[in-house]
Amino acid sequence: MWTYTLRRLIQGVITVWFIATATFAAMHMVPGDPLGSDRATTEAIRANLEARYGLDKPVFPDQYLIFLGNMARGDFGISFTQQNRNVNDIIREAFPISAQLGILAVLFAAAGGVLFGALTALYRNRLPDVVIMFLVILGISIPSFVFAALGQLGVVRLNNLVGQSVLPVAGWGTLQHMLLPALVLGLGTMAFLTRLMRSSMLEVVNTDYVRTARAKGVPPLRIFWRHQLRNAVLPVITVLGPAIAAITTGGFVVELVFAIPGLGRTFVEAVQQLDYTLIMGTTVFYGAFLVLMVILVDLIYGWVDPRVRLS
Amino acid sequence: MTDGHDHVLTVEHLEVEFDTYGGTVHAVRDVSFGLRRGRTLAIVGESGCGKSVTVQALMGLIPMPPGRVTRGSAKLGDTELLGLPERELNRIRGNRIGMIFQDPMSSLNPTMRIGDQIVETLRVHRGMSIREGLREAVTLLDRVRIPEASQRARQYPFEFSGGMLQRVMIAVALACSPEVLIADEPTTALDVTIQAQILEIMQALQREEGMSIILITHDLGVVARMADDVAVMYAGQIVETGSVDDIFHRGGHPYTIGLRRATPSNDPERKQTLEPIEGSPPDLFHPPVGCGYFARCPHAMRLCETNMPEAFELARSPEGVLHSARCWLQHAAAPRTAAVNQRRSVSS
Repeated sequence: MWTYTLRRLIQGVITVWFIATATFAAMHMVPGDPLGSDRATTEAIRANLEARYGLDKPVFPDQYLIFLGNMARGDFGISFTQQNRNVNDIIREAFPISAQLGILAVLFAAAGGVLFGALTALYRNRLPDVVIMFLVILGISIPSFVFAALGQLGVVRLNNLVGQSVLPVAGWGTLQHMLLPALVLGLGTMAFLTRLMRSSMLEVVNTDYVRTARAKGVPPLRIFWRHQLRNAVLPVITVLGPAIAAITTGGFVVELVFAIPGLGRTFVEAVQQLDYTLIMGTTVFYGAFLVLMVILVDLIYGWVDPRVRLS
Repeated sequence: MTDGHDHVLTVEHLEVEFDTYGGTVHAVRDVSFGLRRGRTLAIVGESGCGKSVTVQALMGLIPMPPGRVTRGSAKLGDTELLGLPERELNRIRGNRIGMIFQDPMSSLNPTMRIGDQIVETLRVHRGMSIREGLREAVTLLDRVRIPEASQRARQYPFEFSGGMLQRVMIAVALACSPEVLIADEPTTALDVTIQAQILEIMQALQREEGMSIILITHDLGVVARMADDVAVMYAGQIVETGSVDDIFHRGGHPYTIGLRRATPSNDPERKQTLEPIEGSPPDLFHPPVGCGYFARCPHAMRLCETNMPEAFELARSPEGVLHSARCWLQHAAAPRTAAVNQRRSVSS
């Protein structure tokens, strides 16, 4: 188990290095530069700035090596567009917000997906199955900003009806602020996981070992928990890693609609303004985060499925 | 076979149907048999003849729908099994009747330790604590001759071989010392040497516990080795039943005789060529009006096509086991043939 963990971590570091290199290459192939012409800069200032950021040196190997060196020390540099701001500080400030939102969304998605998926499988082709599977199609095909807007509308109506503010429409700060955006953010993944869980559960329901459990006289509820759910949840756990990454990084639209100062928004704004260091910093950070989540989920998978753990 | 014997389990007129997209399959058609206490009854027949469905119906393991039991009774002692509510059935399954299945590799939960899967039976029926249960589980693994039982109990199914897993299945089934063990093709998925070991373990445990066994198989070698009584099934019916000697040496149904001839042998005295039974079993969507074996039977008569033969009684074994066959050749007025053992008492 320990060697397995270590091997996965080393693989992870290599993956992150690839991501960093690719980002670096891509950034330097994009036309335009952050010290562009529309700013009032003289040649002297420009030269000073270039020296400051190391832009006067050859891209390869000098800039690349400096970039890698800084990255290895965990220093993402200074933002080109935001005054006096470190990329590290920006990430440190914005990421916890995105992470909180993301974790809550993932919890919604995983709990809902497993529950509804198991339910639809047990009530296959009956009313609960039909209704939930219809909603699942809606959840998968309707983009999150529609749900976000509808959700806000619903909250406004609700607040009007009650006569006081039950849930805030937008903003950030308290748990009440998180609920609606997290639900909206997790909805698509929840729908996807429901489908996955349903098919996986349907497979498990007809397995020989479930029949054995029935032949042993095990009561249905115990069969559900100990024999069906645990085996059916394995494929769901596999996709949970990428799903966590997708949710935490894909929250840009939701962050924008609900005016949440998260990292997704920062990232997209950085791209629009060609903020080299901020783009590279956030990309590598997101990449590392995704890799870490996938490793983490694989380790959890090993804990649930002894076949993976022991081989 | 419902005669003066001490029967642990009596099945009468069992009928099972399945609704499928192609129509209704009449999988089991009027099956009756009795299981003598402490003895082994083998149910023999080719694939799809309804052997497994019969025993799964007794255990309430048939998925309903699409399956349903339309008629019949199955009594374990004084308890009627068919139509018993799930809750009460769960008090019998694993407790008074144990069951093992064909494929041990897929019959155990892959994410549960071997010991825990045995403990589960003991907890459900005996209310044992986990600690007590584990101690008992190790004893059981010992009894099915799994070496280093206490270590093995902590392992998972994927760390076991097929033969070892079938031993585990036997341990699970026998955890509560059931009166009846149903073994649904227990050795089919195993290679021959392992088969012999499993059968030996089953026999030894039967001697120790005095339990009765229903053994489902299509292997006549296994039947000869294990069975006291035999029921031969064909197209959802029992076509012949009797003691193992009656079935092997005095077969009264052309199908039984066909099965014997289609069995390979390494006896140099015997003819080496196998004689397969030509054709295939009838379509159970529309079961034949007459005898199910009509289309393949070398002795078929015109009467067989449209008239269902009743079970004619041929004789009783020295132990008093009734030998009967569902074949018109056993009718008093039937023509004589040398191939089939016919009862001669009534007419001559």
